Amino acid sequence: MENREVILSVRGLHVRFGHGKSRFEAVKNVSFDVYRGETFGIVGESGSGKTTIGRAVIRVYPASAGSIRFHGEEITGRLKKEKRRELTHQIQMIFQDPMASLNERAKIDYIVSEGLLDRGIPREEIRQRVDRAMRDVGLLPEFASRFPHEFSGGQRQRIGIARALVMNPEFIIADEPISALDVSIRAQVLNLMSRLQKEHGLTYLFISHDLSVMRFICDRIAVIHKGVIVEMAETEELFAHPLHPYTRALLSAIPQPNPEAEKHKTLEIYDPSQHHYEINIPGWNEVADGHWLLANQEELEAARAML
Amino acid sequence: MSNKILSVRNLHVVFTLRNRRLHALRGVHLDVEDGETLAIVGESGSGKSVLNKNFIGLLDQNGEVTEGEIRYYGMGDKLRHYAGAGVDENGNYIDLASFRKNEDWLRIRGSEICMIPQDPMTSLNPLKSIGWQISEALLLHRGMKGKMAYEETIRILEDVRIDNPKKRYKQYPHELSGGMRQRVVIAIAIACNPRILICDEPTTALDVTIQAQVLHLLRELKEKYHLTIIFITHDLGVVANVADRVAVMYAGDIIEIGLVDEIFYDPRHPYTWALLSSLPQLGHRGEELYAIQGTPANLFLEVKGDAFAPRNPQALVIDSLQEPPYFEITPTHRAKTWLLDERAPKIAPPDALQKVRQLGQITEGSADHGES
Repeated sequence: MENREVILSVRGLHVRFGHGKSRFEAVKNVSFDVYRGETFGIVGESGSGKTTIGRAVIRVYPASAGSIRFHGEEITGRLKKEKRRELTHQIQMIFQDPMASLNERAKIDYIVSEGLLDRGIPREEIRQRVDRAMRDVGLLPEFASRFPHEFSGGQRQRIGIARALVMNPEFIIADEPISALDVSIRAQVLNLMSRLQKEHGLTYLFISHDLSVMRFICDRIAVIHKGVIVEMAETEELFAHPLHPYTRALLSAIPQPNPEAEKHKTLEIYDPSQHHYEINIPGWNEVADGHWLLANQEELEAARAML
Repeated sequence: MSNKILSVRNLHVVFTLRNRRLHALRGVHLDVEDGETLAIVGESGSGKSVLNKNFIGLLDQNGEVTEGEIRYYGMGDKLRHYAGAGVDENGNYIDLASFRKNEDWLRIRGSEICMIPQDPMTSLNPLKSIGWQISEALLLHRGMKGKMAYEETIRILEDVRIDNPKKRYKQYPHELSGGMRQRVVIAIAIACNPRILICDEPTTALDVTIQAQVLHLLRELKEKYHLTIIFITHDLGVVANVADRVAVMYAGDIIEIGLVDEIFYDPRHPYTWALLSSLPQLGHRGEELYAIQGTPANLFLEVKGDAFAPRNPQALVIDSLQEPPYFEITPTHRAKTWLLDERAPKIAPPDALQKVRQLGQITEGSADHGES
């Protein structure tokens, strides 16, 4: 556990939008590590800041405070051009909506190869890499001369994955990669992602609101609520011993495809006013091995008793 | 039991697209019982939305019913004084499929059958206060005006569990959250006082916690207003939560229908098996998840035999030759697959389906653990 290599390390990350009165803090003091080869999940409701974290990591949004280190090197703030180019090779992103994230006017080979252009890579090599990426995601290289509208949602998402893969990244941020897909296609894309992870030794940052999907694909999960990570643990540990009331509310709300269980289920509703954080300030504590919880002293003792 | 409110008989719908004919519904038979919640599940393009658009006369311009009837039994005595299109000679039902004019629909749409659309962000008028939008439904469908309409609107807002209704009455859609907006849309539907409520994926755009609350609300309203709910969704978890009966659609036809327990614990059609097995809840981390191969049937072409056969690795020879009839498993459960023929080889459902029964238990058990 301790000797795993940390590939991404986020410490005290804040992301703020706007100025003065309209200033909004989307992400507050977020810290986590992602280890090489794992799938790290961030789960939360819409507006919780989970996407903002992903975008801060890939440098779309600047971090207002805190540090993001990739392989131990700081990647926030101003960087040299070479460093930025290196990062585009190392970190890639898969987007939510395959209908919106592909350029409708470009052919597939251009869409997939775009990241490699203008980097002094010989044309022949680019073609080979595009071919390989297309094959890796289960598309025929002949498709390269077609336009996005000729493909179904599942195929388009494969193109999106090929576009990330062609850069030979180590780290992929997948922002709700299957939410916009049909049920029967979801399984195909999930399988593809886990296969690519094994073959290419990828590390995923998986962002989603769907805990049942995360349970299937993630090794560790962080639960985020209003820009703050409230709980983080290995997947099975989180499902077996959810400690934070918000995590419990989320877990109780997942619809299970089992009519018998659904009849008897009790919904837990999270009420933030149950915390007394004004007097008793919460801290980020490790309650069990690798199981972190945002809690004050009183809650911490209650949580320890629960385990 | 057999207190039908809606009965679809051999319904065929064809769309004309660039001079090609797309056979969207291929002879659907469906009975909806009064007061039940029927869930219709299927992939996009399976025809579940097209089927329901027929019930409220919102089929796209290029679509037409080529064959079949949609009998609506919910009008009761009102039918005697009604001399419009499609009334049965005995005055028992009205055939919605025979409607041609928009005027015919005005009596049905809203006041008898009402629909909650998928996305509450786009289905409300951003320029009108929510109170106005609910009162409009009251005026058009129940002739209420002024103070009476105002009071009824406040009452309905309370019914859909919107707190502080007098303040909300004056607010505009952009001031409300997604879950609240969906409640307003539900309030508008309820204000029409319909018999049947069609919910077209009403919770897909919402967060899980809000989704659970909206589903709970729908169940409450169903009791209070004696609604019959037709629930369109592709989320089997939601189906297990709300449905009394489930109809599984594939390529424009209902391939299996039964009580919710029958569909989840004893599915018979290979497509239902595939749909259930591909749920991530049934998978193990680190292993392949069952995935349905291929793409949905092309309805521009004529479907021969079992529409699912090309994607079914265990398809029988006859599946590609002849369309299977419905085989009855119990009086409430029937499926369209040759596997149920007595001459068919015994093919067992995938092992993963054994896990369905344990699904909730795992979370339930762990939640108990958490509290103890």
